[in-house]
Amino acid sequence: MNNNEIYKRNNAKNFIYVSLFFFVIYLCFLYLGIDFERFFSALGRFGSLIANRYYPVEIPYVLEPGYLGLVIGVIIASILAYFAASNITPSKRIGYWIGKFFIIFSRSIHETIWTILFVTIVGFGMLAGTMALTMYCIGFFGKLFSEELENVDMKLVETIRSNGANEMQVFAFGVWPQVKTAFTGILIYTWDVCFRASTIIGFFGAGGMGWYLKRNVLQLEYARTSAIIVSIIVLVIFSEALSAYMRDKIYKETQ
Amino acid sequence: MSGYQLTIDDYSKQNSSKILKKVIFYVLLIAVIFLSVYFIIILDTDWHRIGSGASILKQLSYFIGLDAKIMPHLVLPAFETFLMACLGTMLGLLLSLPVAWLGAKNVTPLGSLSFGFARMLMTISRSVHEIIWALIFVGAVGLGALPGILALAFRSVGFISKIIAENIEGADKKPIEAIKAAGGSGFDVMYYGIIPQILPTVIGTIIFEWDINIRRSAVMGLVGAGGLGLAFFRQMHMSNYPGVTTVILFIVSLIVIGEILSHYLRKKII
Repeated sequence: MNNNEIYKRNNAKNFIYVSLFFFVIYLCFLYLGIDFERFFSALGRFGSLIANRYYPVEIPYVLEPGYLGLVIGVIIASILAYFAASNITPSKRIGYWIGKFFIIFSRSIHETIWTILFVTIVGFGMLAGTMALTMYCIGFFGKLFSEELENVDMKLVETIRSNGANEMQVFAFGVWPQVKTAFTGILIYTWDVCFRASTIIGFFGAGGMGWYLKRNVLQLEYARTSAIIVSIIVLVIFSEALSAYMRDKIYKETQ
Repeated sequence: MSGYQLTIDDYSKQNSSKILKKVIFYVLLIAVIFLSVYFIIILDTDWHRIGSGASILKQLSYFIGLDAKIMPHLVLPAFETFLMACLGTMLGLLLSLPVAWLGAKNVTPLGSLSFGFARMLMTISRSVHEIIWALIFVGAVGLGALPGILALAFRSVGFISKIIAENIEGADKKPIEAIKAAGGSGFDVMYYGIIPQILPTVIGTIIFEWDINIRRSAVMGLVGAGGLGLAFFRQMHMSNYPGVTTVILFIVSLIVIGEILSHYLRKKII
């Protein structure tokens, strides 16, 4: 008997065992009278059941105000930080103070107060939340990034400027390469903080998870309230782990 | 020669895959932006209700002006907010000392068990928003300044204890070993070896956290803990918009005072 024959015989044996196994399962189904169609579609329906009935929080409605607020806020904050950095600002007299004032102003007011103000102006909904988070990101990102811009090595900047570059070229070739890594790091940190804030702004009328929280607090449904708080904690810990991983990766890549 | 060619090929292949990755990343980024815009601005916003630009400006114009009548009634809440931040930071420091002791790798008593426990406490403290902490404590101890103090304390624990623990881990080992060699106990090591080294940074951190806590304590009133937040809440619900502006002015000036103080104090210490 060579190897090939043994292999074939084992194969046949296995085939018999497996078919017997499935036959027994089929008999079980037949005996218990389970409808096959219902059984195999159960998994899909289970998912939608959980999504619709047990966990009525639309995840995009939690994530998206934070994301859009972050993008708009970071774009505005980068421009303001460029003006508010004392060493590279294009106009020391006016632009510096305007940039500084706007960053300090949006940082001084807490994100919940921003939310309330925007809700009174544009009404309930995620637009108000997005605007509030934009203001929050301007304050947070603008402060950290302008401090980072103030710490750049001015020798490189002066070299490029003395070669006859204009302001745009000085920024693109002298300043930006120095702060690129810090920009990404601060961006990820801002995302982390912004996400944490976006779970709560709904409490004051800006949609998302906070709205469910407020409803259940007002109805004195403490068990549901704690369930929502636990889901917020889980989401935040997840995003924190993600941002820590990304910051680690960026740090390693630049080393 | 062929080897040389091969490396160039490899390099360009690597480069193209890198470019592809970058393109995919940016396309994904922009797609998510469009998706968010679609969800927020097209699906969720009722433009009819917001009205035209003129009506928004009209709504904004309500906020212009100050309400001088409520100003005397805001001095006490402003003071209360300030004290709440101070006490909350103090209590947070007290609570964060044991957490930092457990969470520093080189002094933690039970190895990875207590280390992991302390890290978990820090993460929970930091990941729960101060409004949620305030809600929990308003439910637990009732209305007033006390839940605000407790909420600020619990929120501060994560940051303060993390900084203290990191400083303990980075402390110079030579004085610690000298004290150990001279027969000092664990307490002696802590008291004479570690604390003098980490004190300036820790005090700087506490002042920084105090500065942030002033900002936080100004909104504690929104969910039932006292202070300027409560005044803001009242003015908002009475639709007294100049009053709202006045309260915001008080909050901002309090925060600016706190920021100047903390800047000055930190400069003096470090």
